[in-house]
Amino acid sequence: MRPLNLLASLLFLAGAVWALTRSERTVREIQNTYYSCLTPFLTAGSKLEVKARAFRDEVRHSKELEAELDEIRQEYDRLRQVESHARELEAENARLRRAMDFQQRTEFAATAARVIRRQPTTWWQTVEIDRGEDSGVVLHQPVVADGGLVGKVDRVGKTGFSSVILLTDEACQVSVQVEGTPEVGILSGQRGQYEGEPKLRLRFLSPKARLSPGSRVFTTGRGGLFPANLLVGTVEAVVPGPLDSEALVRPSVDFTDLSTVFLLPLQQTQ
Amino acid sequence: MIRYTFSLLILVLFALVAQQFIPALTGLFNSRLLLVTLVFLCASVTVRTPVMLVLAFICGFLWDAQTTLGPPGGDPEVYKYPAESLRFGYSIILYGVIGFLMQGIQPLFREGKWQFSTILTGISIFVYLIAEYLMINFVRGGFIFPRATLYQIIFTSTLTMLFSPLVFWILFTIAGRFGHEIRFEGLKKKRRRRAIA
Repeated sequence: MRPLNLLASLLFLAGAVWALTRSERTVREIQNTYYSCLTPFLTAGSKLEVKARAFRDEVRHSKELEAELDEIRQEYDRLRQVESHARELEAENARLRRAMDFQQRTEFAATAARVIRRQPTTWWQTVEIDRGEDSGVVLHQPVVADGGLVGKVDRVGKTGFSSVILLTDEACQVSVQVEGTPEVGILSGQRGQYEGEPKLRLRFLSPKARLSPGSRVFTTGRGGLFPANLLVGTVEAVVPGPLDSEALVRPSVDFTDLSTVFLLPLQQTQ
Repeated sequence: MIRYTFSLLILVLFALVAQQFIPALTGLFNSRLLLVTLVFLCASVTVRTPVMLVLAFICGFLWDAQTTLGPPGGDPEVYKYPAESLRFGYSIILYGVIGFLMQGIQPLFREGKWQFSTILTGISIFVYLIAEYLMINFVRGGFIFPRATLYQIIFTSTLTMLFSPLVFWILFTIAGRFGHEIRFEGLKKKRRRRAIA
């Protein structure tokens, strides 16, 4: 090997070791700098996508739009009734809590965010949203959609950009319980799932867990990440084991159709 | 040489921005065109080892800045077995390895046989993705290699390889403009033969 090549290889190895030994905080700072440089391009791309979508919507048939409008009006009326009912329930709940001297829960306030990019990396199940530190987004903030739990915030950008790790990723773990049973376990995604609908893996159930397919799975609120009673999915199958049982869970959210998500305040979980 | 090297760096940065707008093909097992890796591989065969290593460091560093996952968070009493993630900086090593792999057939490339480099681009990306996936298996435990993952790796490698002639053409154009000699020894021999004749 030539001396110059040898020197270059040694410097390269030293650089790699330097990068590998960076602390979590330094890596976050590097990533923040990287994404703050990229944000203008991503924002421009997102705006272009919005314009393209708007153009596509405009050219849709007017009758189709009218039918859709009627449907939305009906849905709106229905949701108003649901909202009214929910308010009554909320008031009743508050009265009961006060009566029972429970700690009063903070008012539910979710921040809406638009999904601007899906799965930007090869192996991780993540999406990127158009909210950042400027909108009050914080690390590990729970993310939900109308169907239930979606995931949690994995990286927070300075302005208008954050990354959400989805429930379908192996690295997103949630403490859950199965409705109507004492069974509590840890739910996560599975590695290398690309075909069909993703299934979640519910581990650490008791060896004699008796779960019926169709049972709903909710968050427990333990672990300091997710609030309690968020719907996660339904049990599909149970695999008994000698030490613990596992279950396959169908997620309640359609991850292929995520366009708007909601960020729940982190203080609710603590 | 310096102007060519700087233009390669700009090309890598351009590829990095363009990569943000290349979606995964959900119909093809989430395979995608890895533009940054492709530009690096094609560039690495046209330069000497020190420049290739500089490019490997920059590409790996930027790639990890884009893809590294955050800490799992949560109460360790509840989340006792968090899924480990790959450390920041691992891509630098992988880029170095595939860069050396590409340089292995540099003599053939210099003879004008760029087709071999094109095929090796696909093979290098295959090696890169396999290594990456095996590392994930290693740090997370429990060897899982579904057929869908294999298809994803194969389709990504093939798709990226198909675009390599285009990147080589861009590199030749840049090299020609900045007077960088990629040294086509095959062409030189032909010229010599013509001169003798």
